[in-house]
Parts: sequence; C-alpha cells; structure tokens
Amino acid sequence: MNIYDIIFYLFAAITLVSGFFVVSTKNIVHAGFYLLFTLFGVAGLYVLLGADFIAIVQLLVYVGGILILLLFGVMLTNKITSVDLRSGTSYIIPAVIGVGILWGALTAVLFKTSWRSKAPSGMDPTTSEIGRLLITDYVLVFELLGILLLVALIGAASIARRDKE
Amino acid sequence: MDLTNLYYSLRLILPEVIVSVALLIIVIADLILHRDKKSIPYIALTGMLAALAFMITDLAQQGFAFIPSKSQHMFGMVAVDAFGTFFKILIIISSVFIVFFSNSSLEIQKVSDRIGEYYTLIYGMILGMMFMISASDLILIYLSIELLSLSSYVLAGFTKLRDRNSEASLKYIIYGAVSSGIMLFGISILYGISGTTNLMALNKFFQSPELNLLTLSFSLILIFAGIGYKISAAPFHFWTPDVYEGAPIAITAYLSVASKAAGFALLIRFIRTSFVAVVDAQGNWILFDFFDWRSLLIIISILTMTLGNFSALWQNNLKRMLAYSSIAHAGYILLGLAVLSVHGLIAIMVYFLIYLLMNLGAFFIVMLIADKSGSENIDDYSGLGYTSPLLGVALSIFLISLTGIPPTAGFIAKLYLFIALVDANMIAVAVIALLNTVVSLYYYVRVLKHMYLTKPSASTSSVRAVGINYAVVLILTIPVILFGLYFTPILEFVKNCISILSI
Amino acid sequence: MLTEFGKIFVFLLVAIIFVAVSIFIAKLIRPVRPTKEKLKTYECGENPVGTPWIKFNIRFYVVALIFLIFDVEVVLLFPWALSYKEYGFYGFLVGIIFLVILAVGMAYEWRKGDLEWARPKPNIPYLKKIIKNQTGEINQLQSEESKIE
Repeated sequence: MNIYDIIFYLFAAITLVSGFFVVSTKNIVHAGFYLLFTLFGVAGLYVLLGADFIAIVQLLVYVGGILILLLFGVMLTNKITSVDLRSGTSYIIPAVIGVGILWGALTAVLFKTSWRSKAPSGMDPTTSEIGRLLITDYVLVFELLGILLLVALIGAASIARRDKE
Repeated sequence: MDLTNLYYSLRLILPEVIVSVALLIIVIADLILHRDKKSIPYIALTGMLAALAFMITDLAQQGFAFIPSKSQHMFGMVAVDAFGTFFKILIIISSVFIVFFSNSSLEIQKVSDRIGEYYTLIYGMILGMMFMISASDLILIYLSIELLSLSSYVLAGFTKLRDRNSEASLKYIIYGAVSSGIMLFGISILYGISGTTNLMALNKFFQSPELNLLTLSFSLILIFAGIGYKISAAPFHFWTPDVYEGAPIAITAYLSVASKAAGFALLIRFIRTSFVAVVDAQGNWILFDFFDWRSLLIIISILTMTLGNFSALWQNNLKRMLAYSSIAHAGYILLGLAVLSVHGLIAIMVYFLIYLLMNLGAFFIVMLIADKSGSENIDDYSGLGYTSPLLGVALSIFLISLTGIPPTAGFIAKLYLFIALVDANMIAVAVIALLNTVVSLYYYVRVLKHMYLTKPSASTSSVRAVGINYAVVLILTIPVILFGLYFTPILEFVKNCISILSI
Repeated sequence: MLTEFGKIFVFLLVAIIFVAVSIFIAKLIRPVRPTKEKLKTYECGENPVGTPWIKFNIRFYVVALIFLIFDVEVVLLFPWALSYKEYGFYGFLVGIIFLVILAVGMAYEWRKGDLEWARPKPNIPYLKKIIKNQTGEINQLQSEESKIE
C-alpha cells in the first residue's frame, strides 16, 4: 500500500460517509452541507485519476455553484427546516430489492469487465489537451454547449423571475 | 479541423446553422422590440421556413460532418442523410404548426410579454431534436437530448398560470434528470469497454470476438432507458400523462409529435449504425447476436401499447386521454422497429408522417374547445357535433384516423405496419397489436358518442373559431382524408428517404 | 517528487492539522468559566434575534442561477484560452462565436433587468401632471404608486 492508495481510501471514505449522511439525515440543510464533503471527496478522486481539469471544475461548479444554489433553494422555501421529512421508509422492501439488484449488477460489471484502461502517464496537465479537442474534433459540441447554456440561462431566468404585474 | 473543413461541415449542416442563427436573432429581437412583440412569431416562422426550404432542396445530400482530424476512418460527429432529413422535415413542419397553435392559444396569449423567451425555447427544442436525429456520436447524442429536455422542461411550465403547469414542469425535470443520468452512466460504461463514442466505430468494436456480454448488455439497457424516456415507452412513461395534462396544449402537441419523432429517429440510427452487421438482399437487418434487440423491442412495445390503451379507457380528460393514446402509438411504432428491416423502417416513417397530421389536428381542436369552454373534460363535449359542426366533424376524422379505420390516413399507417409485421413472420405480435387497436376504438368512439349522441348540455359551448384557425384545421384534415385514399405520393417520398449512413 | 496537486494536498493537510491542533491545545490550557452571555451565539456583539433560518429574497436565487451558468461558461473558456493560439485565426474564431453567444445571454439578462437589484423609482414628474390635469390623472398616479411599492 503506497501513499496514493492511502489518499485514495481517505477520499473514498470522505465521499461514502458524507454521502450516507446526505441520504440519512432528516434535516435538509444538513444534507446540503454533507453534500459539500461528498462533492469534495469526488474532486479528490478525480485528482488521483489524473483528471486535473475535471477536479477543478468539480470544485468550481459543483462545490462553488450548484451547492450554493441548492442551499439557496432550501432557504427560499419558507419553514422547510421544520418540515418532518420521513418519506424515506415507506417502501423499504421494494427499495431494498431494487437497490440490491442494481448493486449486484454493478458489482458483477465492475469485476467481470476487462476495462480498456490506460497506464497512468504521471500527472500531466490535461487542460490544454481538452482545449485542443474542443477546438478541433469537438468544435460542434463546444458551440452547441454555448447555445445550450444560452437556452438554459433564458429558461431559468424566465421561470425564476417574478412576473411584473 | 481548419477553416476549409469547418466550411465543408457547416455546409452539410446548413439547416441546423439556420436554426441556430434564427435562435440568436429571436433573442436579440426580443431585446430590441421591448414594447411590441407581435412580430416575433413571424421571425420564428421565417426561420423555420428557411430551414425547411434548404432541407427540401438538399434532400439527397449526404455525408459526415465534423470528422475528427486524426481518425483513420472518415466517421464524423454528424451523419447527414436522407433518413435524417426526412425526420428533420417532420420536426420543422410540426414546429410551423405549433407557431400557429401558439398564436391562437389563449394560454400562450396570456403570457404574450414573454413570447420572445417562448420562441427561443421552441428553437432550442428544434435544434436539440435536429442534432438528435443526425448525431452519430454518443457525446453529441447526450448533449442534444439535454438541449431538447432543458427547453421542454421550461416550456411545460411556461405559462405559470395554474399550479398544474408548475407540477408538470417539476415532474418532467425530476424524471428527466434521473433518466438522463441513467443514460449518461450507460454511455460511460460503453465508453469504458470500447474506448470510443462514435457509433460507426462502435460497430467496428462489436465485430471483435471478445466482448463482455454482461457489461455490454447492462450499458445498452441503461442507454435504452434514456431513449425510452424520450419516446415514453412503457416502464419509462410515468411522466407522460401528468406532463401532457399540465403543459400548455400547444406544447403538449409538440411534445407528443416532434419530441417523440426525434427520440425514435435517434433509436433507429443507434441500432442501425451500431448493431447491424449486414443488410441482406431483402432489406433485413442482420444484427450482431450478442444483444437481442428484437425481443427487447417487442416486449417493450407490447407493454407500451397495452398500458397506453388500457389506461386511456378510463380517462375523462381529453388531453390526458390523448396522452395515453400517444403512448399507445409509440408502442405501435416500436413494433415497426422490432421488425428490423427496411420494410419496418418504411412503415415507421409512413406512420410518423400521418401521426403528425392526425395527432396535431386532434390536439388543435381540443385546444380550441378548451380555450372556449375552459376545460378538457369529456362532458363538455356533449352535443358538440351540433353546436360547432365543422370542428366536430374534423375532430371525428382525426379520432377515426387515430384508431386506424379506413378511409382515413391512419388506416394506411397501420396497414403498412401490419404488412411489415406479417412479412417478418411476427404474426402473434401483429395479432396483439390488432387487439390493441380494437381496444383503442372504444375510447376514441366514446368521444364521438358524446359529440353526436348526447344532447348539448349547458356547459357545451359553441366554438366559433376565427378564419386562420379554420384554415389550420382544414390543412390538417384534408391530407388525413386524402392520404387515406391516395397514398402513393407519401410512399414514394418515404422510399426516397430510407438511406441511413452506416459502414 | 510532489506534483502540483500533491502540494495542494499537503497544504490542505497542514491547514486542517494546524486548526485542529491549535483548538485542541487551546482547550487544554484555557480557563473554562462559562456565563450566559458567553454562551450566546456570536453575532458581532449584537443580541441574536430570531431564527437563523430566514426566508431569502428570490432575487438571490436568480443571481445565483446566472452566476452558475456563467461559471460553467468560464470553465469551458479555460481550455480554449490555453490552446487557441496553435490554430491561428480558426481557433480564435471558434472562441469568438462562443463568446458572442455568451454575450447575447448577458445582454438578455441586462435588458430584462435581472441584474438590477432595486429598480429605479421615478416619482417626481407626476406631481406636475396633477396640477395640470384633473381627477383622471390623479387616479393614474395612485395606481402608479401602488405599482412602485
């Protein structure tokens, strides 16, 4: 077990434990804050995989943006902290069966597959390579993302904006 | 990729470029025309017609756009072919109708100060659907589905007039987010074992003998779940009735026709380019034998049509009934795909062309009546055939056509489907589909019964539409009857459009 | 040899350990004499009033939403900015088209007033009108005022 393994298990533990708290806590604000650690742990895992750009995006967008939005959403909703959230236990048997099947399938997939993996070539920065791909092969995706974000902006603003009388 | 390559690729996807530019023009026009926004529908219409004109003139055009520079095969991100252009033409035609629908719709008129956003989002949907139809790369497929979904989530709750608008939007987002996550997971697993996202390159990968069937099937089922959500196939259809009922009727009609057509085109292209090993002389697609697409499609389609038809039996809300009926129709169309041959493909395309006319027509009349009477309940249709004769007759024609009774076009659509099924020796499935059609007769005729055999009650309104609405109704009604009697032109047109780019 | 992320990780670790150790040592050596005043939630010396879970203004949400979308757009611009020079004018054009689409979104937000916090309140010019005109205008003024509220 080298140092990378230890760091991996550390981040994996952070992700799993906080993820468990996200789904088990009854207070939705606490769930939001536990999600912070889950997203952070995932960012650490990305770093270990050598995906530095994605790790930074994870921190910048998910931790810095989406989570804040999520907490805003909670804060916007009046008195949500006093609402008793107990709907989680009503379908326990179907849920256990469904999750069990999914877990079995995922485990089988994980161990039985010969993944097309590539030996890590150190921690080379990937950002400029992603830039090259975005400019050449995936230029359509790049421009379409611009339009997607424009449509998302207009749609989100027109839904969230309070109508003028 | 450099400027000449870019120019070549952009020339191939010119209709999409026109739509994108029109989208930007609408946003800018909305900002400039702050006070008077009456001209925005005309701008939207112009953009659609321009794209339509370019597609009809370049029908025979084909080729790959955006070919990666280092690729040893010449497979691009976008496959432009006659099959794709056919579906894009369907999308644009239905969009043109939706502009007219929205212009007469009372719900949309109430939010006329946000009409710029409305058409921007419609254009977002069009762009997403067009790329869904011709995408031959999993990344582009996912992105275009997202573009379509995002726009339609907002449009489903656009009017914000009633609670059920917001409910429709919310349900749509939650189901949509889950299914797009599932699909993305499937795509990532597929990429993890194959190392490619291109559909053609996937076909090459599937030819290799050492495949992990478990992982592959798992990922394909996940991807199918994502597409099945878009076409509202049976286990993934739960969102459909609520969303269709809650959304503004113009959007419901659009979702039930265009969005579904794009989903089907995507599914057909996915199966045709990635999983077909050879096409034999009779036009049958011989698939790789590691994944039994035919059984999966048959099971899903029977489930879909049975659930759709039987749930429709108990609906008193006409919009909800049409939602279930559109689920059932998705089941029939899936059967056409399960034939896995060129004949099945022709049947699907004929079906879609006719389904567009009759479904849009039915929704349009339901919308006109709902605008007048304020509800879509079947009780408000009592005696409607006498109080508003023209609309009554037109609605009857659309409903008869949806059932598939001659001499309407719906009969031709079903006929080709059943011929394709029987030719492929799928007699048992054809019988089940036929029984389903009989079931569907009940709920369609129930509306007719209310319209003609019940006395007009106090809540029955006499709907007198303005001239343009009558024109739209006639434009939709005449082909439904005409194609039922003389269907050679659509068949010829469809036969010209069956080429799908593949290896 | 440490990579850049290794340094960040060590930095993170040192930061956490520093805080943990100093709090722990402080707990060991500090005197503990709690009073009611000391145990109160610290709120800049003010008396804490009410619950901290207050309802936010919807405007915060709209601004956060816009921030998030532009955040993603900036994230996409980073890779482009690092490598567009290699492709000359073509690379530049790709980014410019993306930025133009962005700018349209920005113009939309600006024009629709989503970026303004409080709308301007024009109320002075109406006074003159009342003097000039009669009762009909006064009614209009009242409706305008209620709108501003």
